[in-house]
Amino acid sequence: MVAVTTSKDTRKRKQAPQEEVTNERNGLNGASNLEMHSDDEDGEEIGSDDGEVEDFPEIDVASDSEEDEESEEDEEEADESGEGDSDDSDLHIFPKPKTIVSDITGRPKRVYPEIEPDYDSDSSTEDTPNRVGDVPMHWYDDLPHIGYDINGKQVLRPARGDELDKFLKTVDDPDAWTSAFDKNMQGDKALSPQELDIIRRLYEGENPDAQYDPYEPTIEWFTGKGKEEVMPLSAAPEPKRRWIGSKWEKKKIMKIVRAIRQGRIIPNKPKTKESKFQFYSIWSEPPSSHPPPLPAPKPSLPTNSESYNPPEEYLPTDAERAEWQATDPEDRERNYLPQKYSSLRLVPGYDQFIKERFNRQLDLYLAPRIQRTKINIDPNTLIPKLPSPSSLKPFPTYKSLTFTHARGRVRALSISPDGAWALSGDEDGVVSLWEVNVGKEIKRWKFESKIGSLDWCPRSDVTYFVVGVDDTLHFIIPPNLPSAIFSATQSSLAPATLPPPSAIPSPVKWVSNSSSDLSILKVELPPSSGTPTQITWHRRGDYMSTVSSGGGVWIHQISRRHSQAPFKKVRGSVQLVLFHPTKPHFFVATQQYVRIYNLSEQKLLKTLMPGIRWISSMDVHPSGDHLIVGGYDRKLCWFDLELSDKPYKVMRYHVKAIRSLHFHPTYPLFASSSDDGAIQIFHARVYNDLMTDPLIVPLKILRGHTVKDGLGVLQVRWCNRQPWLISSGADGAVNVWCS
Amino acid sequence: MASSSNDSSRVSHPVVLSTQTPYPLPSQKFMIPANWKRYQLSQLINKALSLPKPIPFDFLVRGEVLRTSLGEWCAEHGLLEEETLEIEYIQSVMPPQRMSDIPHEDWVSSVSCGLQGHFVTASYDGYIRTFDYSQNMVANRQLHAAPITSVCVFPSDPTLIATSSQDLTAQISRIDSAAVQPLATLHLHTSPVSSIASSPSGKHLITASWDALVGVWDTSIPSSDEVAADLVQAERKSKKRKVDEADRPKRKAPIAVLKSHTARVSKAIFTGDKNAISCGFDSTVRTWDTEIGICTNTIIASEKPFLDLAILQNGNTALAASTDRTVTIYDLTADGASLSSTVGTLVHPATPSCIALSPRSSSSQQIATGSYDGVVRIWDLRSTKAAISSFKAWENKGKDGSRKILGLDWANGVIGIGGECGFEVWRVDEGSS
Repeated sequence: MVAVTTSKDTRKRKQAPQEEVTNERNGLNGASNLEMHSDDEDGEEIGSDDGEVEDFPEIDVASDSEEDEESEEDEEEADESGEGDSDDSDLHIFPKPKTIVSDITGRPKRVYPEIEPDYDSDSSTEDTPNRVGDVPMHWYDDLPHIGYDINGKQVLRPARGDELDKFLKTVDDPDAWTSAFDKNMQGDKALSPQELDIIRRLYEGENPDAQYDPYEPTIEWFTGKGKEEVMPLSAAPEPKRRWIGSKWEKKKIMKIVRAIRQGRIIPNKPKTKESKFQFYSIWSEPPSSHPPPLPAPKPSLPTNSESYNPPEEYLPTDAERAEWQATDPEDRERNYLPQKYSSLRLVPGYDQFIKERFNRQLDLYLAPRIQRTKINIDPNTLIPKLPSPSSLKPFPTYKSLTFTHARGRVRALSISPDGAWALSGDEDGVVSLWEVNVGKEIKRWKFESKIGSLDWCPRSDVTYFVVGVDDTLHFIIPPNLPSAIFSATQSSLAPATLPPPSAIPSPVKWVSNSSSDLSILKVELPPSSGTPTQITWHRRGDYMSTVSSGGGVWIHQISRRHSQAPFKKVRGSVQLVLFHPTKPHFFVATQQYVRIYNLSEQKLLKTLMPGIRWISSMDVHPSGDHLIVGGYDRKLCWFDLELSDKPYKVMRYHVKAIRSLHFHPTYPLFASSSDDGAIQIFHARVYNDLMTDPLIVPLKILRGHTVKDGLGVLQVRWCNRQPWLISSGADGAVNVWCS
Repeated sequence: MASSSNDSSRVSHPVVLSTQTPYPLPSQKFMIPANWKRYQLSQLINKALSLPKPIPFDFLVRGEVLRTSLGEWCAEHGLLEEETLEIEYIQSVMPPQRMSDIPHEDWVSSVSCGLQGHFVTASYDGYIRTFDYSQNMVANRQLHAAPITSVCVFPSDPTLIATSSQDLTAQISRIDSAAVQPLATLHLHTSPVSSIASSPSGKHLITASWDALVGVWDTSIPSSDEVAADLVQAERKSKKRKVDEADRPKRKAPIAVLKSHTARVSKAIFTGDKNAISCGFDSTVRTWDTEIGICTNTIIASEKPFLDLAILQNGNTALAASTDRTVTIYDLTADGASLSSTVGTLVHPATPSCIALSPRSSSSQQIATGSYDGVVRIWDLRSTKAAISSFKAWENKGKDGSRKILGLDWANGVIGIGGECGFEVWRVDEGSS
């Protein structure tokens, strides 16, 4: 602020003498710091009148104590001694300017001291008389002068002796060996003692500057009394931790102290040999048997094709070029294309350099890099080689006709052994006998409750079928039989002389009624055992097994009119049973497992684990070596019974739960039906050769049933002698699919 | 368009026209404009012959009925303009018209138009019904306890009919003016009898059955039973009908049993008085010498369970309908392998169940097939690619898929159709007066 006002004053009184200004200033300064007077006088001596010097004490006054004043005095003393040396350049990097009042403008101006042409000064100021510049001097060979000085006057050629003079000079003149020919001046020039001194210093490896003192005393800028950094970085009060001992350290120490008191730590343990640090010589070990690390692979050398001018045969054709560009960078055989340049000058910079180097660095570093592993396999080869369905004819391909049940879902379906008649029973209690080929109902039976299951007896000498309704099995003879077969059937179902009752009493009652129109024989299962959901026959037609909805399994023998329940102790509720077609084996499917029993030896042979949550259907191959199991979780498992108790193949082709499975008795076909309303036909060829796996080929999806209440096709059965399929659905339709 | 039509009108094809109809043209080459269609060609023939009453003709070009213009047909088949086309013309089949619809209580399995002025229908309820042309039921009698599978009228004596049934027997009955009188029952088969047919002379009958047997019978009515009655049936009948012992149909035995089929025989017919042909579910068509009782020729097809069989009037071409939705034409003169004997196939969209031949000798190449989709198709065997005419029976009855046609007979310009929805008669005008 003061400085500003003074400058205003000076402006007002432009012509005021210099002394007045200084006095005013001194007066102002003196009011605050009288001791600075001598300084001002010094300042006058050196002519330093600038504001910076004057302002500096003001700041000091505002904040300093007496110590500072003392130190300032010291400083001034030091300054004085420095000034006496007149060696300002050491202290001030830039020369101090003087402020004088210009004669012309009358305003103060800064004047810097003259630059001394010292060693470190600009050498361009050296006096060279010849000012021709850097021109060839032989231009002046024929002239008496050798150039012009700064004033344009000729510089005359100095006299030069001949060779003899030169020689004599070397002998006579002791300085001759330190002189050199100055081309500019066309004469010898002796080196000055200073130059010689520089040469000497360079020769001795010293600093060429004679003035340079390598052992100068250090200048204490910020240390020592009065030179501390006094400017505080933060105004925060000093924290407590500066003077209060740390609580945590105290705790730690107390922990150690307690340990020492309790004797857990012994402070001055006597040093034993073990406690001493053991040194070992790393060089005394025997050399390692490991092979030395492999050297990094060398980059391959460039080949002919990498030349900038390769032979013509290396140059790619257009087709090759296009092919190279079409392939992915990882798949290319070479990562460059041979190119021809007429000259090396035309070769452009290598644009792949950085990338290549980087990759090599990664190689050397053994850095793993994510590489796209491209599968170079034709996807068609991954598809198993299956024969085309058209070569596996015949199989059902179209819906030939539909037999419709007016009401109720058709859950039970059976085809006569000769393949001519179909029997279907719905949940309304109606059993219909109809011609497979025409779809004409011939006879109809009506029961009170829903039909759980029905099946034809597989015997050819007698003809009847069994209908399971409400704890009862009805044995019914179809109409229009030849008299021989009719009488044989009657005698087998309702014999004149009953066989002797079994020794073991059975809760199942066999009631013959030959005069009844409905059923000739009734087998009454124990009450509340539930509707028989499955009836399955042994291939000879004497034994029949039923599974009731309550889970009870009964094996009935027709000739002895006896029933037994051998599987009361099976764990889990029994879903399905099956007779083995050739051996005395019996399949029992619970919810998750299929157990195979030997009926003659009465023991468990095997437990198959299909991995299905809930088994819905099962059928055995006519050869007896293979079993298919379907589940409500859409899985279809194929078991090779000779192989393992795990499925040979698991298929999930259906969208919804599998309801029914059936093997064709003669053709290599099987069908599966599902709640998605579709029937799938598979070709399943089984080989006698044990080494050959069964061939399973999906052939055809038959759609034609409508899904009703989430239920689709409930039962599929093959026609015995033809590749025809009959399917019954929840929509009450029974479809015949013909090839 | 204009230019192209001009082009096609200018372009003409050399054509030779031939026919088997009684309207032949002189055999010479005609230059026919390429844009001519059936109508123009038909007009040409009518004008050339100056027929008093215009007769529509259809044109067969290389076994195909001409449906497009001649030029389009040539372009489709890659024929050059210079090539001479041989075109055969036939009398057009006019669109058949429904004449009458006689509903039945049960399905009609077989029909016959052989009885003069009457239709005979055999039904699944075991009844034989006869109707005159004004749809009045003339006779109605239950001949069988089980469904009747086929009926045939004796060509020699139209009052005699033969029926086959699922009750394992066949019967010979006489139809009087109002009554049907069973004369004899034929006992051989142990399975339902699938068909019965008489020889052209009416002296023999042939039956086919599900038990793979073919029975040959003479038509003489025996005075006493030739076959002993079954025990069971004898018991029943002795209780029931002791009274009318004399009236009871006599039990008759076959004169020959033809055994060669391995599965159900679905149809057996006579080709002459001593020759028969049969087809079955074992995918074979067998020709028989009924006098000696041996199989003379076997055509083995692959996986074609045959449902019906017909033989053309020339006696050399057999048609067999199979469940693979085809009707196959077999040439019986070629013996040996089945492939060489297959002349052509008529592809159907549904199972063809019955075949009827055109009764007219002039249109002997025409047949009608009935199928399970309720459509009757009329084919010309020279053009096997598509039917020349088709119509739907029982269009307003029943729902889709339940209009199966089971029996077909074509006589006297009408086609009788029997099936799931009853019996229907359609007039097929073949252009004859």
